[in-house]
Amino acid sequence: MQAWIQILFSSVSLFFLLLLLIRLMGKKNIVRMTPFRFVSYIVTAVIVALMSINLITNFAFGFIALGVWVLFPIALDYLSLKSKWVHDIVNGKETVLIKHGKIMEENLLQTRLTGEELLRELRSKNAFNLADVEFAVMEDTGDINVFFKSDKTPISSHGLGLKVAPLAEPQTVILDGNIINEPLASLGFNTEWLGIQLETIGVSLDNVFIGQVDSSGDLYLDLFDDSVQLPQPKVKEMLYANFEKIQADLTTFALETNNEAAKQMYSAHAATLQQLLEKLKPYLLR
Amino acid sequence: MTVASQIKQTLATLKGSQGTLRLYASQTRDEETKLVYKEALEATGIMIHDLERRMQTLEYQEPQYKGN
Repeated sequence: MQAWIQILFSSVSLFFLLLLLIRLMGKKNIVRMTPFRFVSYIVTAVIVALMSINLITNFAFGFIALGVWVLFPIALDYLSLKSKWVHDIVNGKETVLIKHGKIMEENLLQTRLTGEELLRELRSKNAFNLADVEFAVMEDTGDINVFFKSDKTPISSHGLGLKVAPLAEPQTVILDGNIINEPLASLGFNTEWLGIQLETIGVSLDNVFIGQVDSSGDLYLDLFDDSVQLPQPKVKEMLYANFEKIQADLTTFALETNNEAAKQMYSAHAATLQQLLEKLKPYLLR
Repeated sequence: MTVASQIKQTLATLKGSQGTLRLYASQTRDEETKLVYKEALEATGIMIHDLERRMQTLEYQEPQYKGN
């Protein structure tokens, strides 16, 4: 057999083998990987490369080495799932770099990080001012994560004491002009419902690039034809405005009528509607 | 515009809003939201009932203002 055919054949088969092996080794992010894992990937790749261009003439030896470098990381993964002790040895532990706003110099030394490098890492986490940082930790992957002082953390609705409606993730129901049935069914809608919605808005299905339904059942569309202006879903805001109008009407009626019983009825309803508006506000407006 | 027709208009808005609210109550997947909408539905139901009764009284008292 000619040498080039052999190399072609072994390369193609090793290509698919490596594809399978890497899939087997897991889907951890290559950037957030512990150094050891990174090395094991490289060793696997090098072994396969050497086998592929016939530098390792004995295929059995190659497969033995490959097996060790693929199976051992997988085995270690499973072991570290089972035992915290193994996990700490394999992956290392996180190192606290800043605690209570103070830099821990001895830990910095241990991670062999200079002050400038620490500042650079902090800046990349948007902490330009060291005084804003309450706590910083170097993860076992070498990433540095920052926890800001409570007055420097971004505002959340919880911090403001605002009630917001719980929102689930939106589901994509139209992609490239095709209806995707599974997410539509998981929302409890069907194709007919979607057809009615599209008809109300006045677009045809093949003009829609992406269509998403949010958790309250409103449909948002992006069209291929960007010159078409679509009405954005504003029904909830309208609903809230309507209730406000009704509340105002009831108050007016209460003032205008001379019938005592009717006056009371109107003002009672105006009051309940006011309460209702307060309650509905997070769900309809925010 | 007479009082009766004003009330009629408010009643119409109220009924329309109730319809929209009912739609949202059936569409939403979140149980908590559904509960709030249902509560609002109930309250609007009572309101519609009372306003309709008031309408009847007004039309009975002043039949010349009936209609529109």
